[in-house]
Amino acid sequence: MLIDILQILLAVTGTGVALTRRPVRQVIALGANGLVLALLFMALQAPDVAFAQIVVGTAALPMLFMVVLASMRMDRRREDRREGMS
Amino acid sequence: MKPRVRTALFLAAAAGAMPALVRALPHFPAFGDHPSPYADRVLASAPVDRHVQNVVTALNFDYRGFDTLGEEFILLCAVTGVTVLLRGSRGEHRSARTGQVEGRPVIPPGEAVTLIARLFGVATFVLGLSVALHATSTPGGGFQGGVLIASGFLLVFLGEGYRGWRAMMQAELMDAVEAAGALVYVGCGLVGVWQGLPYLTNTLPLGTAGSVWAGGLMPVINAGVTCAVLGGFGMLFIEFLEETRVNPDAEQDTEAPKS
Repeated sequence: MLIDILQILLAVTGTGVALTRRPVRQVIALGANGLVLALLFMALQAPDVAFAQIVVGTAALPMLFMVVLASMRMDRRREDRREGMS
Repeated sequence: MKPRVRTALFLAAAAGAMPALVRALPHFPAFGDHPSPYADRVLASAPVDRHVQNVVTALNFDYRGFDTLGEEFILLCAVTGVTVLLRGSRGEHRSARTGQVEGRPVIPPGEAVTLIARLFGVATFVLGLSVALHATSTPGGGFQGGVLIASGFLLVFLGEGYRGWRAMMQAELMDAVEAAGALVYVGCGLVGVWQGLPYLTNTLPLGTAGSVWAGGLMPVINAGVTCAVLGGFGMLFIEFLEETRVNPDAEQDTEAPKS
């Protein structure tokens, strides 16, 4: 029962990741999907995999994507300003 | 590619793959069924053979220790690659200002966030340490413990902001911890070689099952993996978060035309 619910949630959040258009929101959706996956691992009695998944899937990976997005945005604004100057 | 072309391509591919999927689905093994005799045999023999309750650790660090050594070096190479690519442009100075996009305020962490991050940061660190230490007796091990401790680092960043975080995260120390961990693993393999046995042979006394020291070489390799993983992830976080800082040289470039 619990596993069924989590599997449905996994499909729902996974579809959410695919259908989200804005990158920043997509990163959040990816984190939600990773969290559900970690809970599913926990329900399947694999706490060690769940530990790795919860850290990598909901903390490390979204953070790295966020940093990349922030970095790109900073660069883009700087280029805009340079173009405006010339 | 236009959305319409993309959808048509997807539908064509799906139509092609669907019959194969429909034919394969009824022949899947039942949920939870594993047709490999190896798993059953290892589950039965590892507690007797290696004095270890957590068979996953016995597989990772003993039976298949050489594979894990390879994985260890994949992580090391990946982090080295990231460091080489990202080092040098931004954030070399620890006090570098937060990069800012016009019209977006830089919000310092609120008091509640700091409090929660402090409480959970310590708890995460202790949990990570416990998971790593009890690798041979409870689920988890060096990798899981290492990433849990590293995620504690992220909580410090969340609560204390970049400067407080960088005061704690010494890049040189992270480098050293990561490299020392990998070296410990390589050195453990040489213990067997020195006795004239194959690389990574577990020749240390196995100890009593259930103790932190059970498993001979495994606790030593486990400590090495813990250090390598937490150093590697720490390094990764430092290199990436440095990218959110302002490069002082570039800042002069762009600030100049304003005046």
